[in-house]
Amino acid sequence: MKAFVFRSDKCDVCRECEVACAAICSKSANESARYAPFIKVYNSPQGPFLRLCKHCEDTPCVDACIGESLHRGPNGIIIQDEKRCIGCFMCNMVCPHGAIKTVMSMEKAFKCTLICGEEDDPPCVAVCNRDALFFDDFINTVKRRRNKKIRGLIRR
Amino acid sequence: MKKTAKRATSKKSVKQHVIIGNCIAAVSAADTLRQLNPEDKIVILGDEAVPSYSRCLITYYLGGMVTKRHLLSHAEKWYAERNIDLQLATRAVGVDSKNHIVYASRNGRKKKISYDKLLVASGSSPIFLNSFPYDPDGIIGMRSYADSCQLRGWARKGKKAIIIGAGFVGLKTAYGLVKKGVKVKVVELLPTVLGRMTDMEASARVRERMTRHELLDIELQNSVIGTRKHGKKYVVMYQNGSEEEADFIVASVGVKANTGFLEGTGVEVDRIVSVDDYQRTTVDDIYAAGDVCRSRHIVTKEWIYNAIWPVAVAQGRIAACNMSGQQRTYEGNIPMNSVDFYEMWITAIGDVQTEGADIEEVSYESHSIYQKVKLQNGVPITFMAVGNVDGAGIVRGAIVGQTPWKEFVKKPQTQILPVVNQLSGLLAKAV
Repeated sequence: MKAFVFRSDKCDVCRECEVACAAICSKSANESARYAPFIKVYNSPQGPFLRLCKHCEDTPCVDACIGESLHRGPNGIIIQDEKRCIGCFMCNMVCPHGAIKTVMSMEKAFKCTLICGEEDDPPCVAVCNRDALFFDDFINTVKRRRNKKIRGLIRR
Repeated sequence: MKKTAKRATSKKSVKQHVIIGNCIAAVSAADTLRQLNPEDKIVILGDEAVPSYSRCLITYYLGGMVTKRHLLSHAEKWYAERNIDLQLATRAVGVDSKNHIVYASRNGRKKKISYDKLLVASGSSPIFLNSFPYDPDGIIGMRSYADSCQLRGWARKGKKAIIIGAGFVGLKTAYGLVKKGVKVKVVELLPTVLGRMTDMEASARVRERMTRHELLDIELQNSVIGTRKHGKKYVVMYQNGSEEEADFIVASVGVKANTGFLEGTGVEVDRIVSVDDYQRTTVDDIYAAGDVCRSRHIVTKEWIYNAIWPVAVAQGRIAACNMSGQQRTYEGNIPMNSVDFYEMWITAIGDVQTEGADIEEVSYESHSIYQKVKLQNGVPITFMAVGNVDGAGIVRGAIVGQTPWKEFVKKPQTQILPVVNQLSGLLAKAV
């Protein structure tokens, strides 16, 4: 199962990921694309943080969706049937990452459904040259981090 | 090749899973059962004439905010794809738990269905009191597609409706009826709207926003002591002595679990079905899920009646896992709900009206945003947001995870919440 992983210590809030997301989404015909980017980096005194659907393994948003708009797609990505969203914001109420984009004027909620269609290398990850954002198997990410640590120790 | 395949299936005894009820708990259970047991038989007994639909959407359907096609999305095809035997308009009337038989009736004809594992997901139905008894001509509840269709038939411009109870269903029904041009009066016994999910301030804001519409009126702290028929109309008598005439009445004072058919089975029913963490009832091979049974409060671990959609989905899934022999427990959820009226969102997590000496309050108030967190011993227990609900799930994470508030506000992602960072309240998109 792939998921987005964010390293706040590496991020310097250049917001290139936001630009990349918006640029790709603008080519999409989906209604939600008008409200791109779905990735949003905030800066705070405590450090940068990211609001982005991480495509979790257990899906509180899918369970809570009373309009049956959100569901898990065949490749594990949580996708949305935009026409079915009724704007109850139940998904926003249960998402622990605050990843749901609530569009009040539309009475709809949108989220990253990977409409860029790049499952291997989404544009937001591709453009990040600070190694702050990954889209990978969680286990792989943990392994990569551990390997890096070991390498660092050896070098020392 | 064919012979071996046949032998393999006959060796493994095919089980028959029967599900009473056809709403989300049943659908979620049937879906999981089919994934875990591709061979077994699954029978769903639905007492309504239509396949499963999202029950929360019937008020939206009433107001014309969703289409019939959207509402009835689980068409017969959905069941056929999963090889589920769907029996519509079939009401369970009794269960013989010793011989593993469900008695059902369809259009007056009796039916016997044997089961290996039974899931009770029969849901709940609206409560009617002696002062406003059920009357198919003008006093109904709002619980099913049929109710919604009936109200759609009655809802004509210039008509007048009285809604008893200003809970979630009552207000959503009022909202739907007003969209159809019906003059609506909502009567509520409590001093707040939306039951125990709002405090006085939030209630006042919701009420103000809703009654801004000239067709809608909400009266609090008043109750109905009787109704009588007057020609084609109904007259409602109030506690304070006044009377009011209406074309029809909607009762939304609460729901009761549909457990009548479980009498004599030995299943413990204390108004709602008592289940354990595995969704088992007190009788072997009978499970329960959804609005018919209790669930745990995820923080206090008390048994509560939490009839919300996410609980039904999870309970159905957990029950199906246990029916298939996998041992899984349900940890529970907290009471929560989210709704919008005229582009004003209300999200409430936990029992907002909790009072006590050890309760602290943190709130943010501005012209269009109202947020409040209640802390018990420094740990958040409830959260309520009106106007701007963005990021409500982050607080829910802290409530469920028992994160102390002092630690919580240090996390960077909490800075988007006006209740944590006053500045974000100024920047937040308001109503």
